[in-house]
Amino acid sequence: MARFEDYQEPPRALEGLKVVELPCLDTMPFMAASMAAKSFADFGAEVVKVEPPRTGLQERALGPFRDELPDPETGGLHLYLNANKLGVTIDLENLRGRELAFDLLASADIVFNPNRPELNEKLGIDWRTLTARFPGLIAVSITFFGAESRYRNLRGGDLVATHMSGVGYETPWHQVTDPENQPPLKLGGRQSDYLTGYTAAAAAMCALYSRKTNGAGQHVDVGQWFSMISMVRPNLGFYSHEAPDSPSFQRLSTRLKRAAQWVYPCKDGWVSFNAGTDRFWRGAKKAMGHPGWMNSELFDTILGRAEHIDAIEAGVIDWLSTQTRTEAFEKAQAEHVPCFPVHSPAEVADNEQYKARKFFIEIEHPAAREVRMPGAPCKFSRTPWRIVRGAPRLGEHNHKILGERIGRSQAELESLAAAGII
Amino acid sequence: MGPRPLEGIRVADFGWIYAVPHATAWLGALGADVIRIETSGAPDLVRFLSGTDGLIGANRSGVFHAINSSRRSIALNLAMPEAQEIARKIIRQSDFVTENFTVGNMAKYHLAYDDLVKVKPDIIMLSGTPLGQDGPFARTVGFGPTTQAFAGLCHITGYPDSFPCGIGGTWPDFAVGTGMVFFLLAALHYRDRTGQGQYLDLSMAEMVTTMMPEAMMDFLMNGRDQAGIGNRDESMAPHGVFPVAGDDKWIAIAIATDDEFVKLCDALGVSSMASDVKFARLIGRLANVEELEREIAARTRVHLRDELVTKLRARGLAAGPVYSTPELMKDPGFSESSMLVKLQHGEVGERVVPGLPVRFGAIDLDYRGAPMIGEHTDEVMSGLLGYSAAEIARLKEARVLI
Repeated sequence: MARFEDYQEPPRALEGLKVVELPCLDTMPFMAASMAAKSFADFGAEVVKVEPPRTGLQERALGPFRDELPDPETGGLHLYLNANKLGVTIDLENLRGRELAFDLLASADIVFNPNRPELNEKLGIDWRTLTARFPGLIAVSITFFGAESRYRNLRGGDLVATHMSGVGYETPWHQVTDPENQPPLKLGGRQSDYLTGYTAAAAAMCALYSRKTNGAGQHVDVGQWFSMISMVRPNLGFYSHEAPDSPSFQRLSTRLKRAAQWVYPCKDGWVSFNAGTDRFWRGAKKAMGHPGWMNSELFDTILGRAEHIDAIEAGVIDWLSTQTRTEAFEKAQAEHVPCFPVHSPAEVADNEQYKARKFFIEIEHPAAREVRMPGAPCKFSRTPWRIVRGAPRLGEHNHKILGERIGRSQAELESLAAAGII
Repeated sequence: MGPRPLEGIRVADFGWIYAVPHATAWLGALGADVIRIETSGAPDLVRFLSGTDGLIGANRSGVFHAINSSRRSIALNLAMPEAQEIARKIIRQSDFVTENFTVGNMAKYHLAYDDLVKVKPDIIMLSGTPLGQDGPFARTVGFGPTTQAFAGLCHITGYPDSFPCGIGGTWPDFAVGTGMVFFLLAALHYRDRTGQGQYLDLSMAEMVTTMMPEAMMDFLMNGRDQAGIGNRDESMAPHGVFPVAGDDKWIAIAIATDDEFVKLCDALGVSSMASDVKFARLIGRLANVEELEREIAARTRVHLRDELVTKLRARGLAAGPVYSTPELMKDPGFSESSMLVKLQHGEVGERVVPGLPVRFGAIDLDYRGAPMIGEHTDEVMSGLLGYSAAEIARLKEARVLI
């Protein structure tokens, strides 16, 4: 099996690509474009992050802050999402500011724009204008509901997208016993923002390959709602074709506890456990020491187990109540049955597996000193994911990018700064 | 529209269940020739999941059809050396190899990266596993739901002071599959420039953890171990799911600013709440969030969901219905989108399945119905690999092709 070679300065996969990330001007935090651009930056593309002057982007205000002391330069989200990026400040609501942005886009391969169509049209930065003016540009709209759908100008965000997609309705997964006090649930953090970011990154690469065939850029329409709907695609295949009166339709189309749940209590916490298939069921029998109740013929088939899920779960919970997380994990895995402990963030940070793979990384940052953060989402053997630069200070690269790159004179930059445009 | 972006790119796809097949559905739709290498001896268990109109069979699952569009299928018994040799012949003519078996399986078939670079030096291989290729727990068995737990996501998903929650949609399978598209194309872009392939080792748990910066950074910076806060947000209030008229019906409402809160109170007919010192400012709403949520819930429950959604949206607020999947499928904004496509399937005829979640201004996506098991065995054996009909018959007889 190949192992990762230890280069001094390994190359990066996306070196040479130029990406511009425009700011989200909504009052709602929306991290999708930031995650999309981070994916490019961390694999070597040059990403210029455009922020509103003075305040900067939302993630600077959101923390978490060390010792709860708010500081726009040292918030955890900012340090994580914006590492490797170059930072400039431009007021897009100002005409002179937009001219700067257009000059920046003239040499860009990809732009991520996380604003709603009506605002983009008002500012003249909508995809039609951008693709007409820059025929080679890949203009990625990242919106709450898609750039063209009937809901295109509605406001949404993480909570609304999660619950309108069907993911929230299924969460918690078959653990609901008191529906009135246990409403459908959002995932922890801002999962649908980050998912939408990865979706936009994937779609931008697809458009880049299209450009390799014909030299043309294009509009790419990424909606948060559709990105989340893509997470329930088995349901879409299921409900399109299953008869509403079939047993599996009845079993699955309720959020009350009817199907097998995934997360169970044990002696010292919780585990995720599943013995749904025949093979896993046989393994679970061995792992649990062949208790008599498991030998019932009722449980021999998948359908039989689904029908008697309550009895099975009672037996599983009974066994787990005598096991620690580690014991359950080791016994189940010894029989090739999927069972993992439920870890808290602290336990993830301290976990042997993450440590062995050097997942968490530590970087030096001039304002924040040493910072530890999550690392590579995928290990590339030849062109590894890498942080080469900490998150930029607000407007840190105005001179380098707006001056040296697009040729604005020192006097002009001073005048723009005095007018509050940069 | 010209050629599709990935025309001429071939994928030898050993993927199964959800994550890798989702990634290769993107590649296939973009014009790549995805060859799914599978076997009727140990078929993908998704082939037997539901959505079957009540009939059971390896080619009938609506769930399988929804995930495996735009590919060919060759049925190979990889336990046999001759089948492994056929797989290597396919790989010799491929650009990507994708797989998400338990660690060690590909090596057992002599199809590990080290084996493959001998037949195709610039191959790009991606392995997706719950916890990655190395480390003390690399050889564990797992899938999406167990990975959510390991990576910390279940712990931060839950009602306040309550239990950790399993997440719907077999999260993170499809999120990981989407990420794989980006990683594969990034590696291909590098190969285009340098001629060099490489090996991509994806741990699903690690990718999940890259998507939880709020909780992870709070621990890494402050030592604070976050747990579930329900539907709440630390920077917005109200931010939650509230009851509306009917049984188990809900509306999601997210209020980011004081101005938006005034509009919400107006829509709910409780303008007095907006001027209440407890609630007028965000800091007060966050401090009194339980009382705030009780007050809001008392007002929302008299409304019909969709009427209230319309009313709040008309005021520019972020609000939406809480949908089950069958309800989502009736939403006109979804049903008229390009995300559902009608495809033909060799055994069951017409199927409605989800396409890509994104729209391209200038790419004509190539959607083809999911393959029956081994549907393209003869085609790949003769057309791509040049086997004669007599050779193919012998290999079927010998159970190499099944």
